[in-house]
Amino acid sequence: MTLASHCQQALLNLMAAKLRSFLAVLGILVGTAAVVALISCGQLATEKALAQFKALGTDLLAISVYQQATGNSHTGQNTIAINRWRQLPEIVPAIAQIAPYSTAYQPISFRGKTLTGAIIGADEALAKIVHIDLQAGHFVSFVDSFEHFCVIGAGLAHQLQQMSLDVPIGKQLRIGQSLYTIIGVAKPWKENGFFNEDINQAVIIPLAGMALVSKEVKINNAVLLLKSDSHIDGVIEQIKQFIANEAPKLSVFVRSAKQIIASMESQGQIFTLLLAVIGGISLLVGGIGIMNVMLVSVSERKKEIGIRKAVGAKNHEIQTLFLVESAMLSLLGGLLGVLLGLALTWVIAWFSQWPFKIYLLPPLAGFAISVTTGLFFGFYPARRAARLEPMVSLRAGI
Amino acid sequence: MDKPLISLTNIEKKYQIGTAVSTVLKQISLTVHQGDMLAIVGASGSGKSTLMNIIGLLDKADAGEYRLQGRHVADLSNDEQAFVRNQQIGFVFQQFNLLPRFNAAQNVGLPLTYRRMLPAVATQKTDEALARVGMQSFRAHRPGELSGGQQQRVAIARALVGEPQVILADEPTGALDSSTGKDIMKLFLTLHDEGRTIILITHDEQIAALCKRRITLADGQIVSESHQ
Repeated sequence: MTLASHCQQALLNLMAAKLRSFLAVLGILVGTAAVVALISCGQLATEKALAQFKALGTDLLAISVYQQATGNSHTGQNTIAINRWRQLPEIVPAIAQIAPYSTAYQPISFRGKTLTGAIIGADEALAKIVHIDLQAGHFVSFVDSFEHFCVIGAGLAHQLQQMSLDVPIGKQLRIGQSLYTIIGVAKPWKENGFFNEDINQAVIIPLAGMALVSKEVKINNAVLLLKSDSHIDGVIEQIKQFIANEAPKLSVFVRSAKQIIASMESQGQIFTLLLAVIGGISLLVGGIGIMNVMLVSVSERKKEIGIRKAVGAKNHEIQTLFLVESAMLSLLGGLLGVLLGLALTWVIAWFSQWPFKIYLLPPLAGFAISVTTGLFFGFYPARRAARLEPMVSLRAGI
Repeated sequence: MDKPLISLTNIEKKYQIGTAVSTVLKQISLTVHQGDMLAIVGASGSGKSTLMNIIGLLDKADAGEYRLQGRHVADLSNDEQAFVRNQQIGFVFQQFNLLPRFNAAQNVGLPLTYRRMLPAVATQKTDEALARVGMQSFRAHRPGELSGGQQQRVAIARALVGEPQVILADEPTGALDSSTGKDIMKLFLTLHDEGRTIILITHDEQIAALCKRRITLADGQIVSESHQ
C-alpha cells in the first residue's frame, strides 16, 4: 500500500469522526502554541534585557575601588590620584579611553528650593563612553577643573523649567556652600545595566572640582572603553596589578560588559529552557490526548481491522494506517499551534513593549516536537491495532 | 486427477475456555479441486465456520496439514499469510462486512490497495468486478444506502476483484430474504460455471442442494459426503 493511499484512507477516517479528530488536534495545538509562545517570549525578554547592556557597546569595563575593611597596614596609599587614573591607558595599552568619576550626595538647591539628585564629578570622557548627549550648551571639561560649572540631566532640567519657565543654561545651582553655573543640559539618557548612576537626575561638575564639594570625596570609580578584541581577563589582571602598586590598601572590583552579557545570555537560556519545559508538559498532555483518541479509534474499528486483514492487509500496513492518522492529527495541530503561538507571542510582546520578531527556532522546534509527540503516542495504539488477530477483530461488532 | 487446490489432512482445532477444552474439529481430511463448488453443511456449533476460517488462513489449526496449491500454508508467517489471503482467497461473509464509510467502489477496491498496482488499473478492475455483479451504477453509494442483497453483491465483487483461486462464502444468504438469497445463489452458480472454485458454508439444505458437492459436519467431524 502506498503512502498516498494510506493518507487518503486516513483522511477519510479522520473526516468521519470530525469531533474526535478536532479534540485531538486541539490538544496538540494548545501544547505547540504554548511551546512556541513561551520559548519566543523567553528569547524576546532576554533580548530586551541584553539590549540595555549592548546599547553602550560591549568593550566596556567598570572599575570600583574601596577601602579594605581589614586593612591594618598603615603604609601605602588609600587613594589613586586623578592624574594616575588618567595615565592608566599608557600602562595598559588595551585601554582606548578612561573616564574616572566620583559621586557625592550634597544638598542641591535652586532659588532656595531643594532638588533631589546626585553630584557626579567627571569630564568629557564619561560623556563619550556612556553616551551622554547634550541638548544645549557644552559638557564640563578637563580644562574647567576648578571652575564652578555644571551640566544637568534631563530630569533635573525638567524640574528647573517647571520652577522658572526659563532656559536653564546660565542659571546657578547651589551645591553645598557654592554656586555652580549651568553650562549644559543633557538629552534624556537611556538607563542601562552597566553604568549605575542616573544621569537624568545628576549634576555633573568637573572631576577635579569635586574636592571643593566635599573633602571626603575620592575618585573611586572609572569606566573604561577597551580597544576591540582585547583580551578582557588579561586587561583586568593588569588593572588590578596597577591598583595594587598604586594603593595597596584598596580592593578592586571590575565588571566587564562582555562578561555580564555572557552570564545574562546563559541565564536567559536557562530561563528559556525552563519555559520550553513548561510548554513541553502541555504538549505531552496533548500527546496523551492523541493516544486516547487513537485507542478509542482502534477499539471502535476492530471490525474494519479484521476486514482489512481478511483482504490481505499485513500487520505493518495496519500499523501504518493508524500511525498516518495520528501523524496527520499532530501535523495539523502542530501547524495551527505554531501560528497560534506566534500570534500569542505578538500579543504578549505588544503588551510588554518588547520589539516583536520571529525567531526561527521556536516554530521549528514546536512543530518538530508536536509531530514527534503525535507519532510517539500514536505508536502504541497502532501497534495494538496491528497485533489484533483477524478472527477476533472480525467477530467484533462494527 | 490433477493436483488438488486445497488439501486438508487430519486437521484438528481445540478451543480452551477456562479449564475446559473443547475440540471443535476432529481429524478433518478434505480435498478441493480447481473448479469445485462445495457446500459445507451442518448445524450451528458443528465447526463449519472454524473450518472455513482455517481454510481462509484467518485461524490456525492445532494439528494436521494444510496445503494450498501443494504449498504448506499453515506455518507461514503472519505477513506471508496476509499475502496469500490477498492473492489467492476471496471472502464473502454473512454480514457482508463492508466498510461503512467507504463507497461501493472503495470497498471493492480494498484488496487491490494492498497490492502495488497503478490506480488506473485498480479502478478498471474495480469497475469490472462491480459490473460482474451488476452493481456498476452503484459505485458511489455507501453500504448504508444499499439493500442487503446489493451489499452482498458488492461484497462478492470485493471477493472477485483480486482474481483469487478460491472464494470462501460463510452463510452468504443468511442475512437475506429468500428471494434475494436465490439471486445471490444464482450469481454464485454463474461464477462457478465460469470455472471459479467456491466453498460455501450453509445450514440451509435448499442452498446446499444447488451445489455439486456437499459435506456434512457434525460435532467437528465429516459425517457424510455426496456428489450430485
